[in-house]
Amino acid sequence: MKFAHLFARTAAPIAALVVAGLTATACAPESSDNSGGKDEKSGTLRVWLFQEVTNAPKEKVVDSVVTAFEKAHEGTEVDVQYIPVETRAEKIKAAFNDPESAPDLIEYGNTDTAGYVKDGGLADVTEEFTDWSESKDTDPTAKQSVTVDGKIYGAPYFVGVRALYYRTDVFEELGLGVPRTQDELIGTARKIRQAKPELYGLAVGGAYTYGAMPFIWANGGEIAEGKGGSYASTIDSAQARKGIKAYTSLFGDDNCPAAKCAGMGGNDTVTAFASGKAGMAIGGDFSHAAIEAGKVKGKYAVVPLPGVESGDIAPAFAGGNNLGVLNSTSHRTLAVDLMEQLASKRTQGALFDAMGFLPTFTDVRQDVAKREPFVEPFVKTLGAGAKFVPASPAWSQIDASLVLPTMFQEIVSGRKDVEAASADAAKKMNTAFSSAG
Amino acid sequence: MSRMTNRPLPDSVPSPGGGRTPKEPAGPAAAPAPVPAGLPGAAPGPVPGPASPASPAATAVRPAAGPGPVGSPSSGAARRGTRPGRGGPGRRSPLARGGWTPWLYLAPALVVIGGLLVYPVYQLGLISFLEYTQAQVSGGQPTTFQGLGNYAALFRDEQFWQVLLATVVFAAACVVSTLAVGCALAVLLTRVRAVPRLALMLAALGAWATPAVTGSTVWLLLFDPDFGPVNRVLGLGDHSWTYDRYSAFALVLLEVVWCSFPFVMVTVYAGIRAVPSEVLEAASLDGASQWRIWRSVLAPMLRPILVVVTIQSVIWDFKVFTQIYVMTNGGGIAGQNLVLNVYAYQKAFASSQYSLGSAIGVVMLLILLAVTLVYLRLLRRQGEEL
Amino acid sequence: MSSVTSGHSVPAATSPETRNSVRPPGSAKNPVRRSVRNLVRRSVRRPWRLAAEVSALLIAAVVAFPLYWMVLSAFKPAGEIESTRPRPWTLSPTLDSFRRVFEQQEFGRYFLNSLVVAVSVVVASALVAFLAATAVTRFRFRFRTTLLIMFLIAQMVPIEALTIPLFFQMRDLGQLNTLGALILPHIAFSLPFAIWMLRGFVKAVPEALEEAAYIDGASRTRFLWQILFPLVLPGLVATSVFSFISAWNDFLFAKSFIISDTSQSTLPMALLVFYKPDDPDWGGVMAGSTVMTIPVLIFFVLVQRRLVSGLGGAVKD
Repeated sequence: MKFAHLFARTAAPIAALVVAGLTATACAPESSDNSGGKDEKSGTLRVWLFQEVTNAPKEKVVDSVVTAFEKAHEGTEVDVQYIPVETRAEKIKAAFNDPESAPDLIEYGNTDTAGYVKDGGLADVTEEFTDWSESKDTDPTAKQSVTVDGKIYGAPYFVGVRALYYRTDVFEELGLGVPRTQDELIGTARKIRQAKPELYGLAVGGAYTYGAMPFIWANGGEIAEGKGGSYASTIDSAQARKGIKAYTSLFGDDNCPAAKCAGMGGNDTVTAFASGKAGMAIGGDFSHAAIEAGKVKGKYAVVPLPGVESGDIAPAFAGGNNLGVLNSTSHRTLAVDLMEQLASKRTQGALFDAMGFLPTFTDVRQDVAKREPFVEPFVKTLGAGAKFVPASPAWSQIDASLVLPTMFQEIVSGRKDVEAASADAAKKMNTAFSSAG
Repeated sequence: MSRMTNRPLPDSVPSPGGGRTPKEPAGPAAAPAPVPAGLPGAAPGPVPGPASPASPAATAVRPAAGPGPVGSPSSGAARRGTRPGRGGPGRRSPLARGGWTPWLYLAPALVVIGGLLVYPVYQLGLISFLEYTQAQVSGGQPTTFQGLGNYAALFRDEQFWQVLLATVVFAAACVVSTLAVGCALAVLLTRVRAVPRLALMLAALGAWATPAVTGSTVWLLLFDPDFGPVNRVLGLGDHSWTYDRYSAFALVLLEVVWCSFPFVMVTVYAGIRAVPSEVLEAASLDGASQWRIWRSVLAPMLRPILVVVTIQSVIWDFKVFTQIYVMTNGGGIAGQNLVLNVYAYQKAFASSQYSLGSAIGVVMLLILLAVTLVYLRLLRRQGEEL
Repeated sequence: MSSVTSGHSVPAATSPETRNSVRPPGSAKNPVRRSVRNLVRRSVRRPWRLAAEVSALLIAAVVAFPLYWMVLSAFKPAGEIESTRPRPWTLSPTLDSFRRVFEQQEFGRYFLNSLVVAVSVVVASALVAFLAATAVTRFRFRFRTTLLIMFLIAQMVPIEALTIPLFFQMRDLGQLNTLGALILPHIAFSLPFAIWMLRGFVKAVPEALEEAAYIDGASRTRFLWQILFPLVLPGLVATSVFSFISAWNDFLFAKSFIISDTSQSTLPMALLVFYKPDDPDWGGVMAGSTVMTIPVLIFFVLVQRRLVSGLGGAVKD
């Protein structure tokens, strides 16, 4: 029998079998095995860090740590990738879904800790962290941000806290004083815009959740209140609404035109300030490098963001990033070691010099505050009491589904009023809280 | 086409295969038997032995294709050739029944389509009935059957209905504009001489060839509030096109029409060219207007083509993803420019509600299926033979 | 279906009458018809034709303008792009943007990746679709009509909706982060349309030819690849345009399936690195766009004529 003919006879049944085989195994897609299991002592370590507005100095610090690490561990290679903050949710989710292509070590925002732990993505490193000699100097708030149910899921990388950047030259030219209350802040912003229509008075963004939060907190509002682990949103409370009103009043032709500012996020406002397009901006200690590299170098100063009453400091968001080892890693020992190297006192000191990232070790922080006076307003802000987002696994989801940015954007674009928009946001948050259990 | 069957065949018919046993008349199974070189993908080129007479047959076809030595049959004869093999002597091909052979030919296609299209569709449906979020995916929690729970949640979601409405209206606007522009320009192409025709054709091909991502960024630059030429020319200052919901949709629509009208134009143009010129001539001599000729003569004759391009446009425009994602930065201010595809993507990959995303996918699938059924009915009514 | 074999590929230089006649591309196929058409043309009154031609040229300019602006911006120096008075020309063209694109990113590599994906999809789907189209047009067998309808329905499946299950499927096949995750689904998605479109071309080849080939002793395989395949080639080219575009343009799958390994990235993803909504590097974006568009453009211009006749042929039948 000729081959072609034989093939003809068999091919179709085989095809049918293949198709049948595919469908026979068809239950839900399997869950990925995230346990990792192996603990290899050589090979390639994949690391994901966040891409900053000005990334080069960060890369330099990281590269030197990595080079030393590779030298110390023969046969080990470290592949560092910088991923954009905006799409981190998709990327990291995808990594949890596919251990094969997942990194071993990631940088993550401290607001995501609870969510990632619930997703089973982060490895419990309580033992290693406690044994680590440097960890005893870790600032308790920072340590709290890597802790879920008493277990530790990473090492704090830096503290992020935001304050008010303003242009000294513009203030001097217009004879403006540094605002001491929230109302003064809004008034000053409008004055700047009026006198210099090419500038935003205070650069704000509809998607800049952590810049808006201090306004809500300063007015006595809260995002959500929790009892015994279950949360209920209070974003539609009277106080919170007052804060939302104050923040959204900054969008308009008299300060930051909605057409441009509604879509902006935190990085955008910093970029605007750095390129000299804004009189003021709410920026973090971590934005320092980007602003220094911009056009406004030497023409700006930083003060704590004012609260409602004169002399108050608006509670800032206790942000910051951590480093964590993924559950799925097959190089656990190496990854934890690299995590400690990247989060060490020395590296944090170097990162501060390069990027302005505030160290998470109390002693290192004191050191740098002495060296660099610009840190003072941030340390002051921290001292006045910083706040945190609800420590619920649902927060990751609320954050990723843009509940708060949508609320601000709806108000700013005039589609809904403050009452309706905040009520909707509260509803969405409650759904998320209840589904996350 | 019928002309090619006349000449080359008699030449090759009398060669019974180099003295071997004459071939049985039909036997599909027997046909390959006497031929030694019968493996799929055999190298082209004359193979020694009984198969070689086939080569002249193959080459004989080619000159016949062009306006060559076969003579110049009337256009009528050429047209009749569109249904080949039917008026010819071999009314019913003896090879029509091939036993397993058609399935052999179909096997690769069926495996690929079954494994990578049918199976995912099945999975999509399945996931839409499960509780399937990040915790289930990474194995933290067991997957549970939700029944229609996801659909209930989806249908209660006010935003879903908004997005659905926006998708349908947006797709409809895109289809209508694309067809109108495409058809108008196709008619225009037949009215002009070679140089303008070539210019328009090349420009359209350029737009067609532009990848969606590229097209989106280019149009964004054209309409950029600060650096774009459009606002300068129109004197709009720094008007932002992507801020308002409708102007953002309009901008995306312009881009979509720009990159999809060429398909309509080229296809319809090819269709018009195939319309017998006597018909056009007669209409033209009667003094009918362009619109009249299109309505009463061309459109009816082009109906099959128009149905195809309409359906294709519906499918493409309903599924627009890249343009919306890039041009409105993932769905616009407060999600005002979301369409179903982007909405499903955000639900699944940003909020990791995979089951809700899948439910949206199923809704899309059902809508397009409905369109397909309409299409099939139209084809059937035209007496199209499948 | 004369258009199928109208064989622009065959120069027919042997025939003296074709050699002498200078014809605009795509004009009527025989002298009789051509003269008829000219008659029609002549009867269109001159001012109207002039107006039509002027508007055709104007529209061509408008349609081409975005592409012109893309290439122009790619060559403009940074200061000129980010100017509030954009000019439609530049006096100091520079390659800076291209240099930045190729240095900052492994753009060459992404280009190659895209090319690998697109070419694999085109070749594989063309061959598979050719076989399948032959099966459904040249054989009668059970479920033939059912299959055809299924192909038609499959063509309507929105591939974007399948991203979720495909993601998990590719993960289970270990294809995430590889080009295979882009190639495999695109083959599957371009097949139904390709089969449907090729059907007309295969049908157009007379069955008598097939019979004759068999009588001459050709095997079925030989007929398939040496007679049928070359005849259907124009149709395959027209079909491959669609699979090429869908694979080359792919954005969603690349975004979803190439998770971490940037060395496997394709052009659309790489391009967006320069497009940050807050502060886009327009020069980089436009240079990258130009690089990404040119291959498709070349492909289109090469197959242009076949495309016209191919589309006409495919949908007519």
